[in-house]
Amino acid sequence: MAGGSTKEIKSRIKSVESTMQITKAMELVASSKLRKARERVEQARPYFLALYKTLNDIAASNTDFSSVYLVKRPVKKIGYVLIAGDRGLAGGYNNNMFKLFTQHKGDRDVCVIPVGKKAVDFCKRRNIEIITEDYALVEDITITACEEIGSIMSDLFKTGEIDEFYIGYTTFVSMLSQRSEMIQVLPIVNLNAEKDEKPKSVTEYEPDSETLFDLIVPQYTAGLAWGAVTESWASELAARRTAMDSASKNANEMVAQLSLQYNRARQAAITQEITEIVSGAGDA
Amino acid sequence: MRSFNLKIVTPHGVHFDGQAEGITVRTVGGDMSIWSGHVDAVTALGIGKAGVTVDGERRYAACSGGVLSVIKGDVTVLASTFEWAEEIDLERAREDLAKGKEELAAATDEKSVQLAKQRITRALVREGVKTGEI
Repeated sequence: MAGGSTKEIKSRIKSVESTMQITKAMELVASSKLRKARERVEQARPYFLALYKTLNDIAASNTDFSSVYLVKRPVKKIGYVLIAGDRGLAGGYNNNMFKLFTQHKGDRDVCVIPVGKKAVDFCKRRNIEIITEDYALVEDITITACEEIGSIMSDLFKTGEIDEFYIGYTTFVSMLSQRSEMIQVLPIVNLNAEKDEKPKSVTEYEPDSETLFDLIVPQYTAGLAWGAVTESWASELAARRTAMDSASKNANEMVAQLSLQYNRARQAAITQEITEIVSGAGDA
Repeated sequence: MRSFNLKIVTPHGVHFDGQAEGITVRTVGGDMSIWSGHVDAVTALGIGKAGVTVDGERRYAACSGGVLSVIKGDVTVLASTFEWAEEIDLERAREDLAKGKEELAAATDEKSVQLAKQRITRALVREGVKTGEI
């Protein structure tokens, strides 16, 4: 009877050990990819921030509103670029993003450009309208792909099919902390609208502001998309690394506990056997 | 000479951040120079040679796409690509040129012709900036 339980414990130890091997391997893969991803974030972040700030400053100093990209209009339909991971096992990474998105969208009429397999699955499950599924693999997204996403966004906004565009992504704060965020891309809003008084200086546009915005807005949306993708990718890897690290630790603890149980059960079996033999000898 | 804050950033990193006395860039409508005290301005960048004057010395670069803005005297260049002359790989530029020419020859629709032409222009600019021919 004790033999049965030791066998059971042994097989459990084995299964936990093999799980641990997987989590360890995933952690290593995430760490090594993360190094490259972080480099990319460090390169892209100044551009991302400067781009967002500059375009908003430009919008703030614009007085004639001749460009469609600067004008707020009644919102009928909202577009999102939703960036999540290609797979799970990354702690709360995907779920946090989806929670934020669900909260942000409310009951409004929306459509989504999902980036990452999990984002595609999420939209399908919830019956959310998908603009394109071409960007389902977040790991393979290049600057060129972001330029395409940028053009799609600008076009849909310009033709009036979508009245507001947001990008949902995860900021890479540190190795241990990532934050889901939602930023408004179009129309380009003046971030300091409340604080700032009316712009005093006249800005020179070369060529005229309409042509100019038609030229730079697709680049702006593309730049933001690229920044958001690099941040999210690094965040996903960091989240996975942390999740896998704690999973490995848990597995380790479990193995230690099971080993203890196993040894006790084994000792109990031996003791019992001795008792049986001794009592058998006494009878004889 | 008076100087202003200049920042040149691309998706590949920060290429310049500091005081400069002047900058010349190729915009979609031709060359444009900015010196200290320029009025607020915004312009879209084309593909071409850029020159930046720092401490009286002129440095050149190949620059393409993006936007240049002057806001309250601070100049920001947000380009798609920006390579200082010393960073340009002449061999790669020439390879790109050859590839662009191949693409142009094989191009059938409007869009791929456009893309091939852009590639050729970028390659020519990089080659020219490196060799000092333009």
